[in-house]
Amino acid sequence: MDLPGPRWKKGKDGKDFAALAAAHPMSAIIAELIASFTSSTPVAVLSGPGGGAVLGVEPEQAVILNRVSIGYAIENATTQKHWFQLSPEEVFYLCHALNCIRVESQDKKHMCEGELWDHFRSISESFPEMYKAYSHLRLKNWVVRSGLQYGADFVSYCHHPALVHSEFAVVVVPEVAESGNRCGRLKVWSDHLCALRASGSVAKTLLVLTISSVSNCELSSPYCLEQLVVHERTITRWIPQQCREQQCEPSRDHTNVSREEQVVKNKSVAFNYWGVVLGFTVLSSLLVYKLKFRQ
Amino acid sequence: MDLPGPRWKKGKDGKDFAALAAANPMSAIFAELIASFTSSMPVAILSGTGGAAILGVEPEQAVILIRAAIGHAIENTLAEKHWFQLSPEEVFYLCHALNCIRVESEDKKQMYEVELWDHFRSVSEPFPVMYKAYSHLRLKNWVVRSGLQYGADFVAYSHHPALVHSEFAVVVVPEGAEFGNRCGRLKVWSDLLCALRASGSVAKTLLVLTISTVSNCELSSPDCLEQLVVHERTITRWMPQLCREQRCKPGRDHTNVSREEQVMKNKSVAFNYCGVILGFTVLSSLLVYKLKFRQ
Repeated sequence: MDLPGPRWKKGKDGKDFAALAAAHPMSAIIAELIASFTSSTPVAVLSGPGGGAVLGVEPEQAVILNRVSIGYAIENATTQKHWFQLSPEEVFYLCHALNCIRVESQDKKHMCEGELWDHFRSISESFPEMYKAYSHLRLKNWVVRSGLQYGADFVSYCHHPALVHSEFAVVVVPEVAESGNRCGRLKVWSDHLCALRASGSVAKTLLVLTISSVSNCELSSPYCLEQLVVHERTITRWIPQQCREQQCEPSRDHTNVSREEQVVKNKSVAFNYWGVVLGFTVLSSLLVYKLKFRQ
Repeated sequence: MDLPGPRWKKGKDGKDFAALAAANPMSAIFAELIASFTSSMPVAILSGTGGAAILGVEPEQAVILIRAAIGHAIENTLAEKHWFQLSPEEVFYLCHALNCIRVESEDKKQMYEVELWDHFRSVSEPFPVMYKAYSHLRLKNWVVRSGLQYGADFVAYSHHPALVHSEFAVVVVPEGAEFGNRCGRLKVWSDLLCALRASGSVAKTLLVLTISTVSNCELSSPDCLEQLVVHERTITRWMPQLCREQRCKPGRDHTNVSREEQVMKNKSVAFNYCGVILGFTVLSSLLVYKLKFRQ
């Protein structure tokens, strides 16, 4: 069963966003980001309890960060540096996967990757599988943002959120023994149907990423990331009437009914026009006849 | 914030279902059920793997069972006995709480309450909490049915499902060390928002029943039911614009726009008519003038 493709937004004056996205693929923008950041290596400072970090960049780097859709720009009056709020997954992705930023703790102490991993794990128990899912999709050039408002862990876009609507609502289900009671998600049918309904109501396909481990791996170090395996499954609802040979889609019936009503309306309008025209022709010819033959 | 009351369905010829329900309260129907069943003690036979049971009743008892909205009637050509498919919670409720049926296993062996409890627990691990939630609502005279298709554990009606739409989508969340890894449901914000969206899309309020234990209780016997405590919480979405003093609902603006478009269309049609009539009046008067003054 084929999934619907990406839904591109409509640009002003009929601008073609699909062509715009094809001309500037996400992989090229990420390459630009790496090139620009590696020279200066901007510093992200960890924020307090939220678990994220604040990153300060130069104006031209801020433009690239916006184009790649990482983090949220924080309003700032000074024009020198632009500040971005990053989530834990975004911080670790820029630091570990792309290797283009440095991270400091609140006491201005440099954090290496192991320390950063421990820090994020202490704040959020599910960080290992969340980050694995995030990096898995990002490395395939999907744009991944928080899916909280849509009832999912992430939502993924095939390009920048300003150009396209997100296609997938991503739910991360860990199947690692160390995950403990986080394995309780999507275990019962009602939870599955709940997620299906919720993602369907916002026009997204449900994508379940199941994270399991190849061998007994210690989640206490970032090296376990190579041991984690991601299984991707889209779950869609099978609607019997749309899949039969004689396609009799209920939505099409509804359009047919409205089209028939439209045709009937048009006919009646045309009929009225002709009636008026005919009436006047008859009247004027009668008048002419009368006048001609009176004299 | 007040919850919307029950949504009554519309009866044929304007029948008032709310009045009908008020005249026949659920408590009275259950009293009738107990009175009718206790004399004959119908037998429910456990089915194989589903965990459900089949109950055979006399025709007049079948009527009461349908009015109480318990079980699903199975089509049967024999007019002697009517057969109903019951879920595990319904079987245990009729047997343990109302004490009005007997239960036999597939080998025609009488099952006592403890054996029945063990049987259902072996089929489905969350049976204790599910049954506690089911009986908690039923004893308050709510009609409780399976909520699987709506993405919830149960749906609760204030009277018979033929008369009213269900108000609540019920999700059961166990809390306590005895429940193991089933505590993983609704633990993260995205799961909660998912359940909220899904229940909102079917016009129901999300009702979360949290089952916890007073003291260390053994789930292996039905006596633990008295030890389980149920906390009821409805979770609704707070929408700022609906709660301000000056209400400015976006839905109303949309209706205004379409009304304006409609008025414009009508005006243009009328204009076309007038144009045609005017044209013909001018032409005919010209013709008359010409003919009159030629001769």
